[in-house]
Amino acid sequence: MSIAEAEAAQISLERPSGLWRDALDRFRRNPGALVGVFLIVVFIIAAVFAPAIAPFDPGKQVGPLATNPQGPSEGYLLGLDEQGRDLFSRIVYGARLSLLVGLVSVLVGLAFGLILGALAGYLGGWVDFAIMRVMDLMLSIPGLLLAIGLVTILGRGLFQIMLAVGVIQIPIFARLLRGSILGQREADYVLAARSVGVPGRKILLVHILPNSIAPLIVQGTLAMATAIIEVAALSFVGLGPNDPRFPEWGNILAENANRLQESAHLVFFPGLAIVLSALGINLIGDGLREAIDPKLKS
Amino acid sequence: MVPILLGLSILVFLFVRALPGGPAIALLGERATEESLEQIEENLGLDEPLHVQYVRYLGNLIEGDLGTSVSTRQPVTAELGRRFPATFELAAAAMIFAIGLGIPLGYLAAKRYQGVLDNVSLVMSLIGVSIPVFFLALLLKYVFGVQLGWLPTIGRLGITVSLDHPTNFYVLDSVLTANWSAFTDSLKHLVLPAIALGTIPLAIVARITRAATLDVLSEDYVRTARAKGLDPLVVDRRHVLRNAMLPVVTVVGLQTGLLLTGAVLTETVFAWPGLGTLILNAIRFRDYAVLQGGILVFAFIFVVVNLLVDISYAFLNPRIRYR
Repeated sequence: MSIAEAEAAQISLERPSGLWRDALDRFRRNPGALVGVFLIVVFIIAAVFAPAIAPFDPGKQVGPLATNPQGPSEGYLLGLDEQGRDLFSRIVYGARLSLLVGLVSVLVGLAFGLILGALAGYLGGWVDFAIMRVMDLMLSIPGLLLAIGLVTILGRGLFQIMLAVGVIQIPIFARLLRGSILGQREADYVLAARSVGVPGRKILLVHILPNSIAPLIVQGTLAMATAIIEVAALSFVGLGPNDPRFPEWGNILAENANRLQESAHLVFFPGLAIVLSALGINLIGDGLREAIDPKLKS
Repeated sequence: MVPILLGLSILVFLFVRALPGGPAIALLGERATEESLEQIEENLGLDEPLHVQYVRYLGNLIEGDLGTSVSTRQPVTAELGRRFPATFELAAAAMIFAIGLGIPLGYLAAKRYQGVLDNVSLVMSLIGVSIPVFFLALLLKYVFGVQLGWLPTIGRLGITVSLDHPTNFYVLDSVLTANWSAFTDSLKHLVLPAIALGTIPLAIVARITRAATLDVLSEDYVRTARAKGLDPLVVDRRHVLRNAMLPVVTVVGLQTGLLLTGAVLTETVFAWPGLGTLILNAIRFRDYAVLQGGILVFAFIFVVVNLLVDISYAFLNPRIRYR
C-alpha cells in the first residue's frame, strides 16, 4: 500500500459514510453533472436577478419597429423583435416562467403520483388494480395530446398549464413508486417492523417510503426537463401562457416561426435557451441516477 | 386492449362534456345562437342521464360516426381517413430512420465501448432528449431548406407534380401508378420532416441498444460461445444482437407515442397535411368534434402499437408465451 493509498484509507475511515454522502461524492466527481449544475445555476441566476441582468424592460419597445428585424447589433445583445423589444431581456425574463413551470408541474405530478403510487403499492388488491388501470389509461394518450385536451377544458392560465403538464406526469411517478414499494414491501426490515407491532401507516411513511424514494428523485429531475419542453410545445401550438407581460421561450419561438427566413435569431436564441436548460436538467438527472445507484450506470 | 379502448372512449366522452359550453357548442361552434343550441341539445338528448348518453355515443363510435366538423362541414371520420395516410407515411419514414440508424449506432458504440463513436453517440443522445422536436424541425428547415436549398420544406408534393391518389400514401401511389417523377419528389418532401421527427427516437434507440448490448456482451453464454470457437460474427448475430433486441423493441413501442405527439408539431413546421395539422387547426378554430376524433385516433394507434410490441416479444423471446 502506498502512502497516498494509506492516507486515502485513513480519510475514508474517519468520515462516516452513508447513502446520501456517498451519492454526493459520486455526483461531485461526475463532470457531466457539474456541467449540468453550472447551466442550471446560470438560468436560476438569470431568473432571480432578471431585473438587474436584463438591460431593458422585456415588454417595452426600445428600438425601431420592423417587419423583419435584424439580429444582434450594437446595444442589443441578441437583437430586437418585430415590436422593437430587446430579445436578450425577453429571454432572461423567460427563464422565470420556464423554471417555475418546470418546478411546479413536476411537484404536481410528484404529489399525486406519490399518493396514488403509495396507495397502490402498499394496499395492493383492488385498490392497486383500480389505480393502475387508470394510470394505464392516462399513459395510453400521448402526453402532449392529454395536455392539449386539459388546457382546452381548463383554459390557458399559467396555473392551468402547470396543472395540465403536471397531470401527464402522474402515471409515470405512480408506476415508479408502486414498483419500488412492491420491491421494499417484502423486505426483512418491514417484516421486523411489523412483528414488533408498528402500525401499517407508520411502516409505509417511516420505513418504506424513504427507502423507495431514490428513483423518484431521479425521475423528478428528468421530468422537469420534459415539463419545460412540454410547455414550450403547448406555446408552439398556441395554447401556452399568453400574458404578454411575461415572455415565455416557447411563445417567443412560436410567434416568430414564420420569420425564420429573415429573422432567424428570433427562433434560434429562445430555442437555444430551451435546449440548454433541458440539457442542464438532464445532465443533473443522469448524474443523480449514477450517484444514487452506481449499478445503473450505462 | 378492449378495456383500455373502452376507458378511452369514456375519457373522450367526458372530455367533450367538460368543454366550456358542452357538446352543443362542440357541434355548432361558438357563434351558435341560443335557439339553435337548445334545439341541438334536445335533438342530441343531452337532457337524458349521462350513462344513456354514453351508450348512444359508444354506438355511434362503433359505427364510425364521430360527428361533423364545424369548419369544413364534412364528417370527421372522412377527414381523419383522408389525413391518416400522410401521418402514417411520415411516422413510418421517421421510424425507419430512427431504427435503421439507431440500432447499428448503438451496437457499434457498445462494441467499441468508450471509444470515439461511443462518446459521440452519448452526447448525441443527450442533446436528442433535450431538444424540442419543433425547434429541431425549424433548424433543419432553416439550414437545408432555406439556406442550402437542397430539399423542399412545405407539403408532401411539389405543386408542379401531378399524381393520382388511389391510396393517399403518396410514395405508394407514385409506385402504383408508375409515376417516377412524383416518386422522387414525394421522397424528397419526406426527408426533412422524417429526420426532424426521427432524431429524438434515434437518440433513444441508440442509447438503449448500446446499454442492452453491453449487458449481453458480459453474459456467460456469450463467453461460452466464443470459448467454443464459434465464428465471432455468428456470436454477434445469434447470441448478442438477438438478445439485445428485447429492450429495444419495448423502447421502440414507447417511442411511437412520442412520435405521434412529435408528428403534431413536425407537421405544423413543414405544413404536412396530416392528422397533426388537422388537430392543431381544430384547436385554433375550436372544432371540438375534430379534436376529440383526432385524440381518439392517436390514442387508438398508440394502444395498437403497444399490443404489437407485446406480440413481437413472443417472437423474439420464446420464453415468453401469451395464453
